[in-house]
Amino acid sequence: MADNGKRVYTPADLVVGASTARAGKLGGNPYLPEVATVIDIIEETPTIKTFRMKFDDPEVQKNFTFLPGQVGQFGIFGVGESTFAISSKPSEKEFIQFSVMKAGEVTKALHNLSVGDKVGIRAPMGNGFPVEAWKGKHILYVLGGIGSAALKATMEYTLEHRADYAGITILYGATHPTNFTYWYDVQEWQERSDIELVLTIDRDCDGWQCDVGLVPTVLERMAPKPENTIAITCGPPIMIKFALISFEKLGFTPEQTYTTLEKRMKCGIGICGRCNVGPKYVCVDGPVFSLAELKELPDEL
Amino acid sequence: MAIRFLKQDQLPAFLGQLAEKARVVAPVKTDGVVQFQPWVSGQDVELDVLLAKQSPKEYVFLQTETYLKFGYEMVKPEAAGGDTAAEEADPVSVDDAAVEVAIPYETVTVEPQNEAPAQVIFGLRPCDARGFVQMDQVFGGYGGFYYDPLYNARREATTLLAVTCREPRSTCFCTAIGGGPAGEEGVDALFTQVDGGFVVEALTEKGEAALAAAGAALTDATDAQIAAAGEVKTAAGAKIDVPFALEGIRDNLHDNIADDRWHDQAMRCISCGTCTYVCPSCYCFSINDELVESTGERYRVWDNCFNPLYTEETSGHNPRAQKSNRFRNRFSHKFWYYPDKYDSLLCSGCGRCIMNCPTRIDIREIVRVMGAPAPAVAAGAASEAPAATGDAPAVAEGKEA
Repeated sequence: MADNGKRVYTPADLVVGASTARAGKLGGNPYLPEVATVIDIIEETPTIKTFRMKFDDPEVQKNFTFLPGQVGQFGIFGVGESTFAISSKPSEKEFIQFSVMKAGEVTKALHNLSVGDKVGIRAPMGNGFPVEAWKGKHILYVLGGIGSAALKATMEYTLEHRADYAGITILYGATHPTNFTYWYDVQEWQERSDIELVLTIDRDCDGWQCDVGLVPTVLERMAPKPENTIAITCGPPIMIKFALISFEKLGFTPEQTYTTLEKRMKCGIGICGRCNVGPKYVCVDGPVFSLAELKELPDEL
Repeated sequence: MAIRFLKQDQLPAFLGQLAEKARVVAPVKTDGVVQFQPWVSGQDVELDVLLAKQSPKEYVFLQTETYLKFGYEMVKPEAAGGDTAAEEADPVSVDDAAVEVAIPYETVTVEPQNEAPAQVIFGLRPCDARGFVQMDQVFGGYGGFYYDPLYNARREATTLLAVTCREPRSTCFCTAIGGGPAGEEGVDALFTQVDGGFVVEALTEKGEAALAAAGAALTDATDAQIAAAGEVKTAAGAKIDVPFALEGIRDNLHDNIADDRWHDQAMRCISCGTCTYVCPSCYCFSINDELVESTGERYRVWDNCFNPLYTEETSGHNPRAQKSNRFRNRFSHKFWYYPDKYDSLLCSGCGRCIMNCPTRIDIREIVRVMGAPAPAVAAGAASEAPAATGDAPAVAEGKEA
């Protein structure tokens, strides 16, 4: 059984960065986090904060790169680490950023961080979005709530390379106007004439001038054309579920529809077995999957 | 390599010589239960009882393994002189005058842990050794994954001296999985019991080194002894039941993913996870932190995929909320998911899960039923949509408090 003609990786292959293993400490000891210092904290919404960190080792900071859509393990020594999407711009060289919704043990502790505190980071992990392969296409982002964090780096990347893409449409929903993450950037996007931005909230409220309605409903109302378009969605599991259904109704094929998954992860490196969906591990095979790939997997999202 | 012979009464001397160079781990009976333990001189090695309650996987993949130690410390800025990284990181945002008063700030030191003492495991069975080979692929980075320095350091420092199974149990099914009572996969040296002692074959350089280290207790085997060992192996192999054929299992599990029969099969499971803990190849783990005052550690610990908390997310959403989903996951992992990634199976047919299951769930039966094509009647009804969570009658599913 061992001799099946497939390539057998040796430890040396992996340490120098073959396949998913990356250079640096992830290659040597993938369990060892880099120590970093919190340099800025942004209160995004009543439950979401964005943390900006600088790696303590200047070499690590200088050499840090990631692909839009990749994730990292971010945590506090003594509390634990959890997986978050890297939400800084891929071109950002000064810091790495994660946006965290206060929900469980680790995220509560993260919300208690102050500027100057020490944290541990293992990043980047996972596959990321194939943004290079999408050049020339129209990109449609459909996001809700904290799902914006998982798509932030990718949105920023395509906005920075706007000329490479045929068009960019962003449909962004939140329960309430105070629950939009990155509001400062959203306001900037509103000014831009080269992107189409639709904002929606679940229920109307005083002073709100954009759309009202759940994200999938508004999406169907917008009726984007599937031709030469890549549709990407991320949000709460229930929103993703219905957005995927809406995409299908609108004529998007499973191959042109993408999402990024979250699971309860531990090791983040495809070993511990915690984040599998069928034969795929979200941490190394994902978190980005096309709907075509998801259709091959058990219904365990 | 010459085939050697170890007289029965020379076994303690043999282990004693090994123990001078490495930790020796062997099956020892205590209060009627056989478990692998660090062997000390004078202890009887139990080879008549098949099998030890657990495989010796815990000596390479520790039940609980601390891999980071860390400590927080408050540093006064003056004391940190020259440490530019720390100075840059100095977060103090109060007015400049206050900064001059040297407000201490926090640093953390992180020390990776990775001890790997040389050890020899004697008396494990070929199925136990195959369990290591199957875990080797996961931790060794095969298939493009990461290389696990903790497991591999211990694995490289471990020599496996296996003993041929003369009297397989009714629960053994190693031959169905491609192994056998004298299987050599993962075995560094194989010991086969014949009249008066063991016929000893070194199968790897590691095995040869171990035998050389304890050479004084060994003699060359005679042709008669070698022939006798061959007969023992053949006879043992013939005693093992082959409960299913491997062909088609993976594809049938794939096709049966939404099959209602998973509910029937899972019905009597109590989600205790005993099967995962006694399994020589179950390797899933969790990671936890402990902090006492300013120092702490991060460790990994064996986990159990039957526990609802294994997948339950902070939001309360659980991708495998139904017991049958979790049940399906374990068997599919062994016969479909793992094979897709590593081109082998995640089961060596030891039968410990059958022996130890409190509700007498039999993996052979699960594979026979769910690894076979769905019955014609069910095929139409159960196809298309994967099993939606919530459509099954709830078996009492006590969530852990």
